[in-house]
Amino acid sequence: MSNELKSRRDFLNQSGGGLGGIALASMLGENLQAKGVLGEAHHRPRAKRVIQLFMAGAASHLDLFDFKPELVKRHGEKSDFGEHVEAFQNGLGPWKKPVWEFSRHGGCGKLLGETVSPLGEVVDEMAFVHNMIGRTGVHSQATYLQATGFDRPGFPGMGSWVSYGLGSMNQNLPTFVVLPDHRGFASNGPKNWGSAFLPAVHQGTIIRPGTPEPVTHLYPPKSARFLTPAAEEAAGNLLEKLNGTYASERGGDSRLEARIRSYELAARMQMAAPEALDISKEPAYIREMYGLAPDGTRWPKEINWKEEADYFGRKCLSARRLLERGVKFVQIWSGNDNGFPRRNWDSHEDIERDHGPLSRGMAIGAAALIQDLKQRGMLEDTLILWTTEFGRMPSTQGSKGRDHNPFVFTNWLAGGGIKGGVTCGESDEFGYKPADRKNPTEVYDIHATILHLLGIDHEALTFRKDSIDRRLTDVHGRVIKGIIG
Amino acid sequence: MKDLKRPAFPGGTEEENPVDRFVRAKQREFGLQAKGRADRRTLARRLAFNLRGMPMPLERVEAFVRDERPEAYRELVDELLASPRYGERWARYWMDIVHFGETHGYDKDQPRENAWRYRDYLIRAFNEDKRYDRFVKEQLAGDVLWPGTEDGWVAPGFLSSGPWDLIGHMEVPESKTDGKVARHLDRDDMVMVTMNAFCSLTVQCAQCHDHKVDPVSMKDYYSLQAVFAALDRADREYDLNPVVAEKRKGLERQVLDLDVQIKGLSELVDGAKTEEIRGLETKIASEDKGRSGRYGYHSQVAGSQNEVKWVQLDLGKVTKIDEVRIFGADEYGFQDFGFPHRFRVEVSEIADFAEKEVIGDFTREDFARPGAEAVVVNGRDVAGRFVRVVATKLWSRRHAGQAPSADWIFALSELEVISSGRERKGVAVTALDSIEAIPRWGKANLSDGLTGTGVKPVGAGDRERLQKLLEAVAGDSLKEKKNCEQQLIEVRKKIQGLPKPQKAYVGMVHHGSGNFNGRGGVGGTPREIRILNRGEVTQPGEVVEAGTVPGIAPGEVIFQLKKNHPEGDRRVALAQWIVHPENKLTWRSIVNRVWQSHFGQGLVETANDFGQIGEKPSHPKLLDWLAVEFRDGGGSLKDLHRLILNSQTYQQSVGDNPANREIDASNRYLWRQNRRRLEAEAIRDTVLWVAGKMNFEMGGPSFRDFVIEKPQHSPHYQYHLANPDDPETHRRSVYRFLVRSQPQPLMEGLDCADPSLLVDRRGETTTSLQALALLNNPLMVRMAEHFAERIGDGKDVVESGIRMALGRDPTEEERKLLGGYSRDHGVAAMCRVIFNLSEFSYVE
Repeated sequence: MSNELKSRRDFLNQSGGGLGGIALASMLGENLQAKGVLGEAHHRPRAKRVIQLFMAGAASHLDLFDFKPELVKRHGEKSDFGEHVEAFQNGLGPWKKPVWEFSRHGGCGKLLGETVSPLGEVVDEMAFVHNMIGRTGVHSQATYLQATGFDRPGFPGMGSWVSYGLGSMNQNLPTFVVLPDHRGFASNGPKNWGSAFLPAVHQGTIIRPGTPEPVTHLYPPKSARFLTPAAEEAAGNLLEKLNGTYASERGGDSRLEARIRSYELAARMQMAAPEALDISKEPAYIREMYGLAPDGTRWPKEINWKEEADYFGRKCLSARRLLERGVKFVQIWSGNDNGFPRRNWDSHEDIERDHGPLSRGMAIGAAALIQDLKQRGMLEDTLILWTTEFGRMPSTQGSKGRDHNPFVFTNWLAGGGIKGGVTCGESDEFGYKPADRKNPTEVYDIHATILHLLGIDHEALTFRKDSIDRRLTDVHGRVIKGIIG
Repeated sequence: MKDLKRPAFPGGTEEENPVDRFVRAKQREFGLQAKGRADRRTLARRLAFNLRGMPMPLERVEAFVRDERPEAYRELVDELLASPRYGERWARYWMDIVHFGETHGYDKDQPRENAWRYRDYLIRAFNEDKRYDRFVKEQLAGDVLWPGTEDGWVAPGFLSSGPWDLIGHMEVPESKTDGKVARHLDRDDMVMVTMNAFCSLTVQCAQCHDHKVDPVSMKDYYSLQAVFAALDRADREYDLNPVVAEKRKGLERQVLDLDVQIKGLSELVDGAKTEEIRGLETKIASEDKGRSGRYGYHSQVAGSQNEVKWVQLDLGKVTKIDEVRIFGADEYGFQDFGFPHRFRVEVSEIADFAEKEVIGDFTREDFARPGAEAVVVNGRDVAGRFVRVVATKLWSRRHAGQAPSADWIFALSELEVISSGRERKGVAVTALDSIEAIPRWGKANLSDGLTGTGVKPVGAGDRERLQKLLEAVAGDSLKEKKNCEQQLIEVRKKIQGLPKPQKAYVGMVHHGSGNFNGRGGVGGTPREIRILNRGEVTQPGEVVEAGTVPGIAPGEVIFQLKKNHPEGDRRVALAQWIVHPENKLTWRSIVNRVWQSHFGQGLVETANDFGQIGEKPSHPKLLDWLAVEFRDGGGSLKDLHRLILNSQTYQQSVGDNPANREIDASNRYLWRQNRRRLEAEAIRDTVLWVAGKMNFEMGGPSFRDFVIEKPQHSPHYQYHLANPDDPETHRRSVYRFLVRSQPQPLMEGLDCADPSLLVDRRGETTTSLQALALLNNPLMVRMAEHFAERIGDGKDVVESGIRMALGRDPTEEERKLLGGYSRDHGVAAMCRVIFNLSEFSYVE
């Protein structure tokens, strides 16, 4: 009998929600919100927190990070891939050289496209993986794959797994924060950071810095004038008392205690969130470093790099402040859904037009973030991942664009446990497929590596759903040793 | 997995409820003391939330509390089961299980305008207490087994309830790898929902490897994919009125017959043609050739000038549009033959123009006749994939110089789209209707690059002579052909005159065009399904036939179907296998779900997974007894509810017992009833109901508590822009429009089901964001104000508030504290506090 109950303990611990789990949690005196399922890391962690920079629409590896002299040489010649290619929109025009000049940066001498040259300052902190492959060239599936490890809906985002495994460092703020592009969501929208089958406490919380209500429901609607600050404070006390009575009359149900606590935490978040997001007291040199324009700057209608730098920089700066206050995982998005005028990286028509401002803005913000974390001593335990849906083709689409390339693309990582200034995994001479087609890198490997650096064995962080022990890396994943310092 | 047999009772007497006899036996085994019966007020609230999903009127609660007759409880159960609220409550459970949503999910999360019919079917089926075997069969193959019935048409909405990759289907053909992946995922979803919902069996992991534990091989899995291999997700059109349906069927048959006749007569005429006639035809054709405006699009003839007709170009992909040029046709002495008097030019990313941008609107007054000139419409840099010309005032067909006729038509010779300075060819032309008289008239001519500007009409002499010669050799056939053509026009008019058909989004054989063509064009034959090595579409292995998983029900694993069977036979075979009386999973699965709804946890805790890895049942004999009873008693869910709800086990109080807790902390052996957090829908419905704002309108399209921005690209579903006072949105939550990509913030905060997941049990989390949602969501705040208005300014605001919200009298503490708070901060602020009481969110 008691054995039977014990054997159920694992399941109940995993189920998180539900009656059984709650009752058991009360027995064990656990606080449901704070603790991760792992309790202790599997091994000594190198990183405590993660920032994921996600370029929506698929950023071109060829024009930013993965220099291909062969394309410069053969620019304009009829493209020949040596095999049948299924392009997404048949963008198989002539070979196309990178839009920007490449030059060497840092002690490692890494070649970077001129448009991302601000990253040159920190390139010795960065590790590049140029042989990433995806599964399909369809945005939604590819976004899901990079965000959740599965190419379809229904799976938790990477940040949700991290929250589930490691728990919270500051309950006054969400553990997993998402800073979406203010112009709209990427493919799949919030499903990219949903908790899916994991308990909802692990889902990504959208924060919109600089807006009156940076977290949904943080304050009552403005129109509700009867909810004065005094009424709010008194309501908090009143609920604590009445719900306290209700709970005390029903001993043994920890959910009712947790509920009282959740209202306390809510009140604390109302204080903590605005403070965390208030960048007005950041010194001028920091604001400048992140590429921030003066507040209230008016921007032209056309896309331009200063505006992009301002948007992306504000997110990066907000991310740093959130991380300083104990947030564990921040996901920053660049680029919205496919609309016109284009404000994402899906440059079918014109690489220079979209990638130019977006990449320059991104590079300024990302470089500042790395430098800033370093000068605060946070870089050594903050892991940064730059990723996207897939790459773009070495051939031309139309006259100035590039089609989707799920066959190869680039990721880079920096910070917590990463060996800087290295490249691990090359693409072929055209940047069409991995140089070694038999040994590509996949998102599972990136995820396994990130979990590894967080002290988690990616095969051991699981959640049972419909008879399958689900994990972030499905049945795949190997830690990329070559980029670990 | 054991065979399903009715187990003997483990003790107890005939007078006892069978449920109690099994539960008591387990309790004896573990030394547990059952709790006594809860008080009547608690039972009323418990039953109300279980069966209605919201409270019942206070007067009814009081009447029940006062009614001391022993049958009062039983009668209340019957009354609640008979209420239409029951079907609404239970439909929502089923919607969780089948991951019902009303947008596609994935990229460009487009709305499904007609998915709600399946939701209405569910409400109807539960309220009617449809036999469970029929309920299963209808959802898998209602269109085959009960053709012509609404439930038969609509119930296969089950198969289409899950997400669908629009881009992977619409923008990528099935011949490409990405297109194959999209369709593989689509079938996988159908297999998964079928086996998990009805059999609580997880088969989806066998797409990459044989199941590690359960006896499901890759071959079994792919044989299940073969069952659905002819299907896609699409809108089915059907007539509710059987008379209309019969009429439409008859008229469509007439069209087919007339087409055949006309073809035969044309052949007769062709056969009778002399050398001279052929020569003359060649001459006219060669003259015509230089007059390219003679090749165009021509609509069917309309009965009135104000009928709306349209024709559209598919550019193949989203294209920025600089300019649209429209050319009139060259016929009967006109160079703007058929050019509409009023029209609009629209651009959309989706073929059905559910969302669109109008780039030219000429519908307010008559447009000047363009003659041979192209009409140029500025594209305003709008981007879209489809360009449509909508004629709102038609042209009268006639020869130049003749009086206008009553034959109202719409014709054009060419539609050109200019993007980035060059002409973009359409990949396909579609139209509301069209006369396909090839080569002269046909939809495709609209994008053939041939325009007719400035070319003079050919002299009428040759044509008249040709006509005379033809009449001489084949006068009767010509006359008959003309007669048939006239009849065809009449028949088509009649079809147009029928009431518009209903539409339901279902799993069906799709008749499409372009990349998403479905299997309609090949007679609905299923796609060939092969075992995919590692689940990769690029590594197909051996072909598999339709079949199922071994060892669960009698019969062949590969269905024995005749050669060239219609695809529906496969679905019928699977449905029959599922509802086979000896199926070991089906009956256990459903009774377990019902049990879970009344206790918060199932006899098997993993309601979607009865496999080896899933949890073992707490009361295996009770599960089997209930399954047999349910199966043999006619598959009535209401009878099953009655059996469980009338048990003492169900009616126990939730009170604690530390000694029991030591032995069985999770209450697996039901020594008490469970205190349960209300679901998101129950909380929202109760808030509306308590505030006096509940709109009980049943059925029909879902209410939308959001505003859609940028519908033409990827819709942005903006919940914060909704008006919390819109009475349409005060309907029960089961009627809420379910967006997959962007969950509704309040409902998400309360752990509502994610329509991308098969949800067998709601999550139950307690977070600060949930507290913030209950406190500050605009609907919650507005309803607190309405609740306050309902209470009024009397002196007993606390008493009224607590009674209305919680169905009981307030405690002394509540009187004091809430009273003081309402005096200081107003009744509305007090009402908001009441909504946030723990008791408001829990039921005992």
